[in-house]
Amino acid sequence: MIDPITLQQGTDWRAQAEVFDEIFFVFLTLGTVIGIIVVSYTLWNVYKYRDDGSEAPEDFDAPVVGELPTGQGGPKAKKLFLSFGLSAIVVISLVVYAYGLLLYVEDGPDTGDEGDIEITVEGYQFGWEYFYPNGHTEMNELIVPADQRIDLKITSRDVWHNFGSSDLRIKSDAIPGETSETWFTVSSEEVREQGGEATYLVECFELCGSGHSAMKGQITVIPQDEWEEWYAGTEGDSEGANSSSVEGDLGTASVTAPAVGGVSA
Amino acid sequence: MSELPPTTSVRRWLVTTNHKDIGILYMITALFFLLFGGVLALLIRVQLWDPANQVLSGLAYNEAVTAHGLIMVFWFLSPFGFGFANYFVPLQIGADDLAFPRLNALSYWMYLLSGVLLGISFFQGGTLSAGWTMYAPLNVPMYTPSIGSTGAVLALAMFVIGITASTVNFLTSIHHSRAEGMGIMDMPMFTWSMLATVWMMLFAFAALLALGLILASDRVLGSVYFSATEGGSLLWGHLFWFFGHPEVYIVFFPALGVMLELFQTFSGRRLVGRKWVIIAICLISVQSFLVWMHHMFLTTINLEIKTLMMATTIGISLPFDLVVFSLIYTLMKGRIQFTTPFLFAFGALLLFILGGITGVFLGAIVLDYEFRGTYWVVAHFHYVMFGGATALFGGAYYWFPKMTGKMYDEFLGKVHFVAFFIGFNMVYASMFIGWETPRRVFEYNPEFQIFHQIGTIGAFLLGFSFFIMFYNFLKSFVSGPDAGENPWDYSRTAEWAVPSPPPIENWPNRPSYASGKLEFVKDYVPDGGPAVKADENGNAATDGGDSHADHIREYAHWDKHPSHASIWPFALSMATLVMFLGLSGFNDSISIGAADSLATTPVTISNPVYPILTVVGLLGLVYTGVKWGFEDFYAPPAEFAERWPFNGVEKVKLGMWFFLASDVIVFGAFISAAVFIRYNAGWREWSPLTESLPGLINTFVLLTSSFTVILALVAAHRNSRKGLLASLGTTIVLGLTFLAIKMWEWHHEIYDVGVTIASNSHGDPVQASIYYVTTGLHGVHVVGGLLIAGFLFYRAYHGAYLEDERPVEYFGLYWHFVDIVWVFLFPLFYLF
Repeated sequence: MIDPITLQQGTDWRAQAEVFDEIFFVFLTLGTVIGIIVVSYTLWNVYKYRDDGSEAPEDFDAPVVGELPTGQGGPKAKKLFLSFGLSAIVVISLVVYAYGLLLYVEDGPDTGDEGDIEITVEGYQFGWEYFYPNGHTEMNELIVPADQRIDLKITSRDVWHNFGSSDLRIKSDAIPGETSETWFTVSSEEVREQGGEATYLVECFELCGSGHSAMKGQITVIPQDEWEEWYAGTEGDSEGANSSSVEGDLGTASVTAPAVGGVSA
Repeated sequence: MSELPPTTSVRRWLVTTNHKDIGILYMITALFFLLFGGVLALLIRVQLWDPANQVLSGLAYNEAVTAHGLIMVFWFLSPFGFGFANYFVPLQIGADDLAFPRLNALSYWMYLLSGVLLGISFFQGGTLSAGWTMYAPLNVPMYTPSIGSTGAVLALAMFVIGITASTVNFLTSIHHSRAEGMGIMDMPMFTWSMLATVWMMLFAFAALLALGLILASDRVLGSVYFSATEGGSLLWGHLFWFFGHPEVYIVFFPALGVMLELFQTFSGRRLVGRKWVIIAICLISVQSFLVWMHHMFLTTINLEIKTLMMATTIGISLPFDLVVFSLIYTLMKGRIQFTTPFLFAFGALLLFILGGITGVFLGAIVLDYEFRGTYWVVAHFHYVMFGGATALFGGAYYWFPKMTGKMYDEFLGKVHFVAFFIGFNMVYASMFIGWETPRRVFEYNPEFQIFHQIGTIGAFLLGFSFFIMFYNFLKSFVSGPDAGENPWDYSRTAEWAVPSPPPIENWPNRPSYASGKLEFVKDYVPDGGPAVKADENGNAATDGGDSHADHIREYAHWDKHPSHASIWPFALSMATLVMFLGLSGFNDSISIGAADSLATTPVTISNPVYPILTVVGLLGLVYTGVKWGFEDFYAPPAEFAERWPFNGVEKVKLGMWFFLASDVIVFGAFISAAVFIRYNAGWREWSPLTESLPGLINTFVLLTSSFTVILALVAAHRNSRKGLLASLGTTIVLGLTFLAIKMWEWHHEIYDVGVTIASNSHGDPVQASIYYVTTGLHGVHVVGGLLIAGFLFYRAYHGAYLEDERPVEYFGLYWHFVDIVWVFLFPLFYLF
């Protein structure tokens, strides 16, 4: 298991996908085990105490019509509280464990420098527009460098959308008048494995109108030097850019930032 | 009042106010909507067969998804449970009927006809396509412009109005009509579940009603709440889920009640830890209002609130753990009979366990982030809600012999269960495996196609299984063997102590649990006087009178027979349907031009049909309301009853208090909406739109009218007809003065200042919307109060209320409430 404290120290930070996979694995394993135990125990008892047509035992205290309802106490009640206590311990410890990792996911890794790139994502019927710090805008394809923490500020210009990429395990609501945040990072190893350009599907996860099903985009991650070259080429280009909605300064500080973290470039 | 026609007559089913008839109507109607929603579900499943499939267009698919959700949650699940509640809660508590039989019929007709309105909306340019959660601003006309979308929203509002009446009715009945000796802890578990359900409904549906009214106002009158970027979307999210989370338990609890009954009946064992199960149920009901933001983890709410909501969410899973373990342990050491009802109830438990475990996943926020908007959520809530409803089908088999007097076919019942259970898990378990598919999307990743195809096959099996049930019930009703009074070995509750089906007034004599078990006692009834408890020899017992509240002596007419028939619930609901149908197209048919004053305002009517329907419906509403008021309908309260914790509160008064409690939430939601939007816009950015003087005068006018209502009550008490008329008349004049000042103020705002419901030349348009809509809702309450006051005045002129002044008192409660609301609105809109 990963200690969230060390995660935040920035020496060994992980993508949201890894955190998710770990928690999902723990929950799925425990959930399956507990589910199997409870269901088989129940089925076995139901089979064991079936009415097989034999005489009821003498002490079988059958209820009668019109009695005022009473409950059963005794050993069964003790068992009830024991099971309840056990289930409470399991559920609460699971959630406390998951909460530690939530704190990590909320803030993301502290990269310790100004190298994070902040991009505003604006949803519309039916696509995504990305606003880069230098005023450049892209439609539907988000192009970012590897090995860098990408901060997304997400909003919408018409209805409620939800920006998400299942592969990267990131997701956030795009609400008109509101700005939500998420972050992600892709290592250059991953980019290399995918042949020099890693692509991830972006989908809309909130019903937003007739084109909702087809509202798909793409995140493209390229090696850092290639990206810097591409980004420099967008300088001063203002195609459809609405500079007032660009977050952050318009400088080039982010481009010169060194690669961060222990992931080798 | 008329006599109740026989069951073979169609008229019987239009006029009946008997709880058993209405229960059957509810169940049959709900099953119809199950088919309706089921056909939509199959359309969805056909579209999902192939990721490239285009059986439906994008918009039509969204309509199918939306209507499927709305119909299943509102028009099937809840009403199906309420069918059983209608039939069996009065029987289980030893009552003759529900507290307000005509109101009960009204709820049913509102339910059915709101469903008709929803059906019509498909033909008004397409129904709503914003999902059953109807997230803003997709739900406003700019994005969903069809008339049918407005029709669907109004259908929901009409449904909620009916539901509110039903909630008040059940709360009053359960708290006011329990047989002697049945304390609140002695109620059967199904009744307990229903009590918790209606308590949650009282508050949750009031929030939904407020939401429906605001949305209807956005769509019909042109206000701009939900398109406002000053938090309009989030406002919808908060209010919807404040309703929406309790709603999950509202649809689940009736099913849980059935499970709790059936586990006991078919194992011959009593519930383990009964008291703790009841406490758990009450805890869940309260906690359900404290978890709503876990549906909004990915919005912009902050970490502190997320943490709090995560804790409350885990907190609410714990009482459920207790209930589940109690159900399991109840079966142990029993003599379990695998009848069809038990199989369904037991299947429901297994499905609910799976739904519960997958729900804990969603409680962990990191997992929730990824599951949001995917099939994991879809699968989870189907396992919980539809899994719970599985028990309701068990309830249908369990009570079928009681309702019809015939036994169902056991073999066909078991075949139904097997087909149902396999089909169910094929549909929803496959969703868990292919969970990464986004919700409400049909162009999905082909990787998951196999799981969606398994789901589609399962869905058809699931749908088919219901035809086995329909065939079984029809065949058994026509030619099944007689079931007798009590076909089950270990049943306990009182419905099994009367014939199948029970007679119209349920009991041979007055049911009583005073001795610790159900007995039918014969009271000594002197001529024209109240009944007195009899001793063993049938003579009047000397100590019998103490549980007799005085008000019942005054209220009841001992020689009169209770009524069971009235056409006015049906007529009033029809008028509502016509009015709402008219309102759905109202905005599209009328355009209002700019002008200097009301008199010169040009109004262009492009299509007269909708405005005419609106006016006809409105007139019909007033007419049927008045006829309702004049009808001689006799529904006396039970003479001897357990009423804790409302001992000594008269029936109608109790109902009025419950109604006002729900109205508090309606206004609370409106005021919260005003505060929330203003907070998001920047509190100090806004200053009052209006001058404070007219508001101040109106405050004094209303407070004075509250005083004159009290004078009216005093006059009635003193048998002074003149005094009663004078003070009621003054109240009416003061109310009219309030409305006149209000009209002047609105006219001034619109034509002199230039502030209308949709535009504001001095600031945010939404501020104008909030002002008009909130004070408008209050104004509608004043108009309603004046109509009732006019009715009372007319009756008082003809000599009524001198002997029995309670109608004046209850009107006074309502009127005071309306005045108190104004005391909150005045500072909000005129001072700060």
